[in-house]
Amino acid sequence: MEMSTLELLLEFLKVLPINIIIIILSAALGLLFAILLTFLRIKKIPVISQMADLYVSFARSVPGLILLFIAYFGIPKILSLMGFNSVDVSPMHAAIISMGFYHSGYISEVFRPAYLSVDKSQHEAADSLGYTPTKKFFRIILPQVIPVALPGYGNGLVYLIHDTSLIFAIGVIDIMGVAELFISRSYGTNQVFIYFVIALMFSAMCFTADFLIKKLEKKTSFR
Amino acid sequence: MFDLKASYDMFLGILGLLPKTLLLAVTILILSTLLGIVIAIIQQYKIPVLIQLIGLFKLFLRGTPMVVFLYLMYYALPAMGQLIISLLGINYNMNNMSPVIILIVTVSLTLSAFQSEIIRGAFLAVDYGQIEAAHSLGYSFYQTFTRIIVPQAFVHAVPDFANSFTVAIKATSLGFLITVIDIFAKAKIMAAQNFRFVEAFLMVALIYWGAGILITKIADRYENDVRIK
Repeated sequence: MEMSTLELLLEFLKVLPINIIIIILSAALGLLFAILLTFLRIKKIPVISQMADLYVSFARSVPGLILLFIAYFGIPKILSLMGFNSVDVSPMHAAIISMGFYHSGYISEVFRPAYLSVDKSQHEAADSLGYTPTKKFFRIILPQVIPVALPGYGNGLVYLIHDTSLIFAIGVIDIMGVAELFISRSYGTNQVFIYFVIALMFSAMCFTADFLIKKLEKKTSFR
Repeated sequence: MFDLKASYDMFLGILGLLPKTLLLAVTILILSTLLGIVIAIIQQYKIPVLIQLIGLFKLFLRGTPMVVFLYLMYYALPAMGQLIISLLGINYNMNNMSPVIILIVTVSLTLSAFQSEIIRGAFLAVDYGQIEAAHSLGYSFYQTFTRIIVPQAFVHAVPDFANSFTVAIKATSLGFLITVIDIFAKAKIMAAQNFRFVEAFLMVALIYWGAGILITKIADRYENDVRIK
């Protein structure tokens, strides 16, 4: 069956929301988990903070593709160990979880130095002025951490978007999955064009993320 | 549930392919460093046209995932190679180009952009006083470059090179998408024989993790030994 370029673009646009949802959800999951990890590593709670360190080194040195497969095959096993038999773990859930965790390893390594970059005297000054720990964190420390962390976080976000291009490998029908379908349907005639279109779509997503982070950077910088 | 014996067998089976992956990664690192040097020179001397092309290429890399780039190359590289070869008048069928070559070319191109930045940064980190001192001692330009600048720049670049090396190792895992048999593809094949997917992929993760830790440790050790205190 021959497909026109317009039809092809429409098909792509139909599945684009799946990519965007996965990116947003795994970014949110990754952010939450990274904050927790960073907290554990900074507080230096024995055993737990070492485990967090170990986790970060694991998430950073294992390819995203493998985490994806571990999550896809491993989550049902863990669930059945816990007594939930025949729970349907869709590839999309596995993708969101593994991408979120992969992302958290990267950005936790951005947040930790950013937190440590705040001068010790800032802590001391806040303490001497009678700030409670919560107040100190939200009013003094966090506003100084954010501008330092944002550029690195933006990079992490772009890498996350790049890595979500792998999720088709576990069977999510996203834009890469649809591309494979197209190619097999058209007997491999216009692969280069299809992947070029995908490159443009991913670029659009990445540059949007870049743009948003840049805007946030301008807003939060106190200079 | 979790079969230790099967895991152990798989670990050994997969480990056998580690040298291949490492060799692939070393090739990629060398090629991308050479390319990175060329890019760094072009950027340093602001060679017109080429510098714009590199800017465009970097923009492309910023936005395009490596998988997409890999597929683009997989489908376009043989045709491009065929075109060049036919222009040169050589009769050779490029369509049976090995996917390994495509993987190496793609990852090297991607990494070269990072390598060029690392190289530039390393050279800029060498104190200008060092160059002046060398000149005052009567070193020629070539001697200053090879005996004073390069050794110091190299030490600066080592941690980043180690990082690039791990990136290269991780990137080779994408090879299975274009039928290159590396660690990951081997694990998939072994897992398909007895349906122990979780064990197989955990073993792969373990191997990648071990390799990553080892490389970081070696680089740290080297840096500590060489850095001038």
